[in-house]
Amino acid sequence: MAYVTAEHLKYKYPGSDALALDDLSFSVEKGELIGIIGKNGSGKSSLCQAIAGLIPSFYKGAYGGRLLLGDLEVRSADADELCSKVGIVFQNPFNQVTGAKLTLYEEIAFGLENMGIPRPEMKERVEAAMAFLHISEYRDRYPFDLSGGQMQRMAIAGILAMRPEIMVLDEPVSQLDPQGRREVFAAVRSLSRQGITIFMAEHNMEQIADFSDRVMLLHAGRLVAMDTPSRLFSRDDLEEYGVCPPVFTRLARALGIRKADGTWPVTLAEAKELLSVHGTAFRGCAHE
Amino acid sequence: MGKKLWSMKMNTATLVLIPAAIGINYLGKLFAQLLKLPLWLDSIGTCLASMMGGPIVGAIVGAVNNIIYGLTADPISTIYALTNIGIGIAAGVLAYKGFLKTLKGAVLSGLLVGLVAVLISTPLNLIFWGGMTGNSWGDIAFAACAAKGLPAWIASAVDEIIVDIPDKIAVLLIVYAIGKGLPKSLLSLYQSGEEIADLD
Amino acid sequence: MKSISLYEEKGTMLNRTAPESKLCYILAAVAVPALTGNRWAGIAFTVCSLVLLLAGRVLRKALPMAAVSGFVLLTVVVIQGMFRAGNATPVFSAGPVVFYREGLSYALHIVCNIMNILLGFCVLVLTTKPSDLIENLVRRGFSPRFGYVFVSVFQIIPQMTETMSTITDAQRSRGMETEGSLFTRIKAFIPLISPVVMSSLVNTRERALALEARGFASRRKKTFLNEETKTAADRYIQIVCLLMTAAALVWRIAAWLT
Repeated sequence: MAYVTAEHLKYKYPGSDALALDDLSFSVEKGELIGIIGKNGSGKSSLCQAIAGLIPSFYKGAYGGRLLLGDLEVRSADADELCSKVGIVFQNPFNQVTGAKLTLYEEIAFGLENMGIPRPEMKERVEAAMAFLHISEYRDRYPFDLSGGQMQRMAIAGILAMRPEIMVLDEPVSQLDPQGRREVFAAVRSLSRQGITIFMAEHNMEQIADFSDRVMLLHAGRLVAMDTPSRLFSRDDLEEYGVCPPVFTRLARALGIRKADGTWPVTLAEAKELLSVHGTAFRGCAHE
Repeated sequence: MGKKLWSMKMNTATLVLIPAAIGINYLGKLFAQLLKLPLWLDSIGTCLASMMGGPIVGAIVGAVNNIIYGLTADPISTIYALTNIGIGIAAGVLAYKGFLKTLKGAVLSGLLVGLVAVLISTPLNLIFWGGMTGNSWGDIAFAACAAKGLPAWIASAVDEIIVDIPDKIAVLLIVYAIGKGLPKSLLSLYQSGEEIADLD
Repeated sequence: MKSISLYEEKGTMLNRTAPESKLCYILAAVAVPALTGNRWAGIAFTVCSLVLLLAGRVLRKALPMAAVSGFVLLTVVVIQGMFRAGNATPVFSAGPVVFYREGLSYALHIVCNIMNILLGFCVLVLTTKPSDLIENLVRRGFSPRFGYVFVSVFQIIPQMTETMSTITDAQRSRGMETEGSLFTRIKAFIPLISPVVMSSLVNTRERALALEARGFASRRKKTFLNEETKTAADRYIQIVCLLMTAAALVWRIAAWLT
């Protein structure tokens, strides 16, 4: 059953003439992990903010069509309904620190205080979110003194504690070092395993191919395609949209090795399997 | 769609602008000290906030700025929140009238904002400090006027004019320069209306 | 942890006293002398503040704050003592410089007044965590959104000064002159400040979005992670301070009417 549904979703920022989102229609099942790709300016961030309801609650401008999260229509929902339904994590962990709290523990509780959650439940939720993201040991640290990866996991914990059913991540690792990226990607994986429906905009195609149940390809505010990573990255026109398929796909293409269904391998595991079937040595490339 | 001049509506973007503007005030003051400039340059954030969010936002920045400064460094400066409220309102009204779109307008605004500051600060200086500002150039002028037997309020106004007018002209010129470089999409966060248009 | 706050946790009675009680104390310390016009009331409050600061073990931290105003007060004493209009009775002279009784007496009045206000604020500022003060005011009905504005300033300023030192170093290593003639220094100001100003203004957008994603625009009644701390004495302190202020106000009005 479709859980998140967009019907002819359109959006224009105030003072802008071009549509940032141009007639998007799609539907997503509960618990799916959807990758969002496209070059800069293709509408990834706008789509993320539309799903989180910040378009049109924060940005005004002009809006058309419908976006449904379960039975909640985003456009007419109020701030409280949206917050308990959907959460969003942004690129820059630094900008997501509220600046109002002195410890990581208090920082994670910020959203719960705003939502009026009673104190005992609040403490329980904060503990659970910290444990889930493996940041309990930093509970008394000053938020701004954390590393990028820790800070971003704190941001995710702050959202997770609000117990949303849908989580949007807008390029959550783009400002992090490799260590921080690994930490955050691991966290996204465990969130997905919890059954949370996830939308993640990301530039790293290897990760997108590895993570996603399905991938949305955006270009100039339009939805070009929405398909499984295998089929999407097997398209021949990706270059037109400024997308470079995963390195494994490019390698397999160069070697002319297809899967049985005619698509190209998109993850390391798939490529490895195919290559070993073909008897080709594929050692020493076992990085992510 | 445009926001009204005296709009009291505080969306989250506007609220977050306030601490940032106070930080900018603080930085201006620090850099001015670092470069040993004979100016305060501590109201750049207030005037930027006025330009971006209107006079009410500027006034709030001015007030909160001095309350915080009073709580952390110099309790007496709390009362000068009144001056900064005046600066915020004056800069906001002038920006709304389009004065900050040209270089000439910016200089004129500096002069007018400076005069507002003088009008409010002088009585406060008289009440709390016997008319002085604590700025050495201004206070020398105060001493000179007082020595000539001029009444304290004239001496105090001269003291304040020497300090404030050049400072506010410099501040508004900086605000003008920075304002030209700000992205339009950012400004629209503070200046667009509350209604959402239909695309269906 | 960096903070611009001067607060220090010493585990003293003054640390435990509710921030509102200290606010009431400041109100009384400023309003009573101002309303009654009695110099001795100001001196009494000054002494009281000194005793409190001593008991709170923060008297030493009050000295730098007094020094900020102290320099200006010194110029006040010198200039008013020498030049105040109405100066008539010489007290002493140092070479060609003559100090007058009227000017010095007026300057003394200013010094007492400033010191009283300053030390009264110190009682609050040096012993109270800013976030506790704001949180308690929010509990009493102050807007949580404006509460956020106040609290976040305390953290944003240290962040910005950190960025500032990075930029200063970077610009210096590129050969920008920060010393030299007034004109050179004025020229250095804009490239120093504009990158921080720009980035901090642009960052406000993402911070605002992140806040809204965490229920900042919620209309529900807010709850608090931390329990409120207060002592048994708080209620009495507040009542006494407010009564003193009210009494001074009544006295003032009565004095006007007669």
